[in-house]
Amino acid sequence: MTEPLLNPKAMAEVRRPASRSRLNSAFVLGIGLGLAVGYHGLSFRWVWPPMNGLDRFLTIAVPAALTIELVAGLQRVPRWAVWLLRMSLAATIPRILLHGSVYLMSGSGGDWTPWQTATALAICGALLAGLWGLLSWLSQRCPGASIRLALCLAIQCAGLTVMMAGYIKGGCAAFPLVATLLATTVGAKLIAKRTGTQADFGASAGLAMGVVGLFGVLFIGRFFGRLSTSCALAMLLAPLLCWVTEIPPLRHRKPWLVGSIRLVFVAIPLVVVLTLAKRDFDRDMAPLLGKLQESAIRRHVEG
Amino acid sequence: MRRYFSVAIIALVIGTVVRAGGKSASAADEYDYDTVHSSVSFKARHLDISWIHGRFNEVEGKFSLDRDDPSKSTFELTIKTDSVDTANEARDEHLRQPDYFDTKQFPTIEFTSTKTNAVEGGYEVTGDFTMHGTTNTITLILKGGKEHDFKGTKRVAFSTELSLKRSDFGFDETTIGPIGDEALIIIDCEGVRK
Repeated sequence: MTEPLLNPKAMAEVRRPASRSRLNSAFVLGIGLGLAVGYHGLSFRWVWPPMNGLDRFLTIAVPAALTIELVAGLQRVPRWAVWLLRMSLAATIPRILLHGSVYLMSGSGGDWTPWQTATALAICGALLAGLWGLLSWLSQRCPGASIRLALCLAIQCAGLTVMMAGYIKGGCAAFPLVATLLATTVGAKLIAKRTGTQADFGASAGLAMGVVGLFGVLFIGRFFGRLSTSCALAMLLAPLLCWVTEIPPLRHRKPWLVGSIRLVFVAIPLVVVLTLAKRDFDRDMAPLLGKLQESAIRRHVEG
Repeated sequence: MRRYFSVAIIALVIGTVVRAGGKSASAADEYDYDTVHSSVSFKARHLDISWIHGRFNEVEGKFSLDRDDPSKSTFELTIKTDSVDTANEARDEHLRQPDYFDTKQFPTIEFTSTKTNAVEGGYEVTGDFTMHGTTNTITLILKGGKEHDFKGTKRVAFSTELSLKRSDFGFDETTIGPIGDEALIIIDCEGVRK
């Protein structure tokens, strides 16, 4: 079997559309495998039918996103069809995650009226679709790993914030996502370097998984945990600050500088949200762990 | 005139017979759960060295007692998980989250009886207990059942204790650690006759 990384002919082969399609599929499968290993390592349960929002995210939303990206990598599938699938998934995910919850219950047992439910689902779907579309557009205009790294940063912060708000399992769901996306991004860069191409392998799959993952963690944290709407929105929209490098003074800078600027801008709101989340954690959750009780006793004794 | 009078008398007799028959066919007395004089509380181990006590403040239910044929008696109880109260607001918020009760996904804990037997001092009630989206069959021993007439209102009270394992009801096993797997639920229920 030919080793593509050592053979120049094989390197040229990688540059062909058919080989790139296969490589893209390999990246999608790699993301799926990485997530499966990560969630298994964290003892996440696999139950069918899924019982709660997190179960539905892991067993329906994530596999659906990966399947669409697998289809997107195929040569014969037109772009409009791929985007139709992506937007359909974006519109459906909020409904899937809320299935069977008090938000969708009718009558006195429900939290929302039908009108509120329809509005919330439409807004959430539009946010996911908008984020996905805008980041993909940016990725086409100015490709680079920085968008996926920004998504990793946002997902990691989202996970920590959800955990500090008291939903530990929901926050933990972010970690395999981040690890897998980082690994595939680094892998793609290495392959591109070894083959001498400018192609950004697995970019659309990584971006799709990053966007869906970020949305999923924040959505379950907001609607099933205690994450506030403002924090969730700030973290969801933070990766859009990657667009800041499209302004003329920054646009034609060196790629590493553009990437660094993007990450710095994305990190600013995330740091603010994390700081606020830590403050709330110290006030609300730390007493449950005994830390504040000790300090309160100390103050009382000293007072 | 006489004809109309006869029809009215017959209707009255038939109505009385039907009503009396209906009464005898449904001998069970129905009671509503009295929220003022009832409570559902629980306790669970903390770090396996102490007990955390709590209660559910919003409970609904009803039961019917057929004293002639106890097997026809039925019991229903619905507990709103969002009303969990352990006298610590931060802990209550934590308990409402998906790591524990997941109140947005599973807003109620429900018990519906399927079989009732009279036993000494009360009833042995078997039924479906649904918590955290998982239904298991459990058997309760309800102690009490004596009717008391207080200012014209008939009341019956029962009390029971049951021990449950959270892991049997789909609770995430990774959160079973600081708070023990086993929980003791104490139900004191007073019913007001309808």
